[in-house]
Amino acid sequence: MALDPGVLAELESIVGREHVRHEQGEVAPYARDATPLFSSPPDAVVFPARTAEVAAVLRLATSHRVPVVPRGAGSNLCAATVPLQGGILLVLTRMDRVLEISPAELLVRAEPGATTATVAEAAAAKGLLFAPDPGSRTVSTVGGNVATCAGGLRGLKYGVTRNYVLGLEVVLPTGEVIRTGGRLWKDVAGYDLTRLLTGSEGTLGVITEVTLALLPMPATASTGVAYFSSLADAGRAVTQVLAHGVVPATLEFLDRTCIGAVEDYARLGLRTDAGALLLFGDDGEPDAVERNLTRMGELCADEGALEVTVAKEVAESEALLAARRCSLPALSRLNTLTVLEDVTVPRPRLAEMVDRIEAVAARHELLIGTFGHAGDGNLHPTAVVDVRDPAAAERTHAAFAEIFAAALELDGTITGEHGVGAAKLPYLRDRLGDDQMALTKRIKAAFDPAGILNPGKTGS
Amino acid sequence: MSAEVSPGVDAPGAAGAAARGIFPPELLDRCISCGFCLPACPTYALSKDEKSSPRGRITLMRALETGVLEEDDPTLREESSFCLGCRACEPVCPAGVQYGELLEHWRSHQWQGRHRPPLARVLTNVVVRNWLVRRLGTFRGHARTAATSPQGPHLMLGCFERALFPAVSRAARRLRPELDAPGNQGCCGALHAHNGDLELGRTMGRRLGEQLPGTIVTTAGGCAAHLAGVLGRDRVKEFSEYLARDGSASLGELRVDGRRARVALQDSCHLRNGMDVWREPRELIAAVADYVELPGAAQCCGSAGTYSLLRPKDSRRVLAPKLDQIEAAGVDYVVAVNPGCQRQLVTGLRRRRSRVRVLHLTELLAAAQDGGLPRRRLRLGARPGRRAEVPADEPAGLTAHLNDRPLPDDPGAAGAGRPDALDGSAGPDEVHRS
Repeated sequence: MALDPGVLAELESIVGREHVRHEQGEVAPYARDATPLFSSPPDAVVFPARTAEVAAVLRLATSHRVPVVPRGAGSNLCAATVPLQGGILLVLTRMDRVLEISPAELLVRAEPGATTATVAEAAAAKGLLFAPDPGSRTVSTVGGNVATCAGGLRGLKYGVTRNYVLGLEVVLPTGEVIRTGGRLWKDVAGYDLTRLLTGSEGTLGVITEVTLALLPMPATASTGVAYFSSLADAGRAVTQVLAHGVVPATLEFLDRTCIGAVEDYARLGLRTDAGALLLFGDDGEPDAVERNLTRMGELCADEGALEVTVAKEVAESEALLAARRCSLPALSRLNTLTVLEDVTVPRPRLAEMVDRIEAVAARHELLIGTFGHAGDGNLHPTAVVDVRDPAAAERTHAAFAEIFAAALELDGTITGEHGVGAAKLPYLRDRLGDDQMALTKRIKAAFDPAGILNPGKTGS
Repeated sequence: MSAEVSPGVDAPGAAGAAARGIFPPELLDRCISCGFCLPACPTYALSKDEKSSPRGRITLMRALETGVLEEDDPTLREESSFCLGCRACEPVCPAGVQYGELLEHWRSHQWQGRHRPPLARVLTNVVVRNWLVRRLGTFRGHARTAATSPQGPHLMLGCFERALFPAVSRAARRLRPELDAPGNQGCCGALHAHNGDLELGRTMGRRLGEQLPGTIVTTAGGCAAHLAGVLGRDRVKEFSEYLARDGSASLGELRVDGRRARVALQDSCHLRNGMDVWREPRELIAAVADYVELPGAAQCCGSAGTYSLLRPKDSRRVLAPKLDQIEAAGVDYVVAVNPGCQRQLVTGLRRRRSRVRVLHLTELLAAAQDGGLPRRRLRLGARPGRRAEVPADEPAGLTAHLNDRPLPDDPGAAGAGRPDALDGSAGPDEVHRS
């Protein structure tokens, strides 16, 4: 479906001719985001510079019934920004300013296109911490973080993006500009629309400004590593750590497949005879960090750890974390198609879930490595298959359907931090049930009566 | 994963997708589209447009491979040319995409026949001829040895380098007299591989490998990376790498106005991103002078092989913030490890009438060893008068002419390229540009 020439001309008059792309080659790179197997080009790509331009584009789109898909860096893993029905792709990277940092109020105000790393660095320059720490922080935008409620490695102690969103400026699909929340930590006036919009994946409104909470920067951080003969042992150690009142900043695990892949790739000297690797770490005042690290090391040993090492210095900590950080690249190099998922289960059922995943992988003859956040039950089962083998792609699809079902059986969810987008929409009903699905659609219709915003995703 | 895999699957070779056979599938399949390359890409920094990013360009390559885009699509032509080929995307890529090689295949296909930039055609045609390459350097007095020991190590003289900066090979041999430098050696073919003739580039690399058996030592980062790709990493040593293996003992010291000289480095993109050589030149500089790290030392200077000639305006936009950094750093010298970068910096700094001088690493180290920089030597054929006053670090003749081609508006002017220079208004204190 090509865009009406009149609409195109109006788009050009709103944002300026040089900020609209519509030639076939120009829009082709916007057909996909970081999600494999989803590809569909927009009819036009529009780069607005201010809220008023966003509002004008949305009013135009609503009156002509043209789909609009908002996009930041396109680093999401659920095909949330793939324009399945064409239309306008609204890219917010020109709105990339950090507007204000208020140390007295512990908050930062930024435009949606600023990258997570830029915001975090601006905060750090004033001695403050922006806690959400998604893996793609150097490229992802804060607008995208809020729209997908991005998680990361610090979820257990610090929570996820939603715990830091104080206020939003949002343009509704019909063109009105609203401001939800604000600079206040306490504010119960009306429905909590800030939370509703956080994680709405561009289906309810376009975020044009964010106000995010900051924390004082922790004085120091340290990391340790423990090897176990099985993930069940590691799972028990995690339970013990939390039962003893320690809430660590880092609690990450790798399964046997990941340990082998990482060692083959990065030669870090990992123990490949182990069944599981547990990384534990904390940040804060030096004496508290040291006490917590020692305690966690002892608890791991009590639960039968094969070996426990605590880093003596920052560089050593970084080296240990490297094993976790390079899990995905290490796995992805094993074949040509990498499918990364993020089912989440209650913490005590982590080991059980990993067993289920292993059984599914064996049944479908697939190579699936699992790593993830042991502290918050968020797992990343990652299948690597040959992109040229349609049968393998089919088996992967079937295997993940079973993995999602298993997570729900264990009182978990189909996605912990990546989002629903187009990729997991077929499984959303299994998680929400009929009544919540119907309510979701009514909420969507209240925000977006013409159904122009990110069609084919949640609420459609 | 979803039950509804969209029809427009762009992975070549995926069920139903056609393949034109332009790219080796194992190279194109590597990219997982995570976008980690975006912050590293100089052209993405200029345009903020996905099509000018490594990830976007790979999506374009896939669209070309599968026939989603026609072969003469204007965006394909423009983006294959706008890319600097600096390979800054490779070290940050978690999936290990060999972008530089993909680009070579892309240009080899895209720049066939009339689509090849005419200037690229002229330059590559010149240096493919062995006798012409020899002639390039004949009058400029580059280093040369008559006999060739069969096992080396040999000093590679380069094609344009021997004409533009003959003092570099002379300095290299003053530092390491054991290096053989036969004058009848040819060009390594990097120029061809990067400009749409990958096969010829590889053939020339192999031919140079036969002319210079054993270890080849080169003073050009770009040539080093290309040769390493053709002949194997073991046979090629970039000069700093060659020097660094026997420590930095007795290198001397370079002084300016009675104090240690302050010296910055401009990395060679292919040396750093393609060969992981970047510590060595820093250590060598620090051994003879006070080393100053430029904030953007690792980023492309915009020379990028033929890029500064083919796309002078874009080249200057990339260079401008770097010149600002060099001038702000308060250094006496900035060191290059590749002739293209050297030429780019000389030209850019001269245009600004900067007092910072540009030296190749070999020239800096030789000066430290000799106890100072040589006074400018009158060149053979140089006439007295204006040209004789040109400082010794400047290329002459054809190059000076190319460097000085006037441009309608000069994006290389001081301050251009800085974000705050674009919108003119500096906001209140709390405003930060990303």
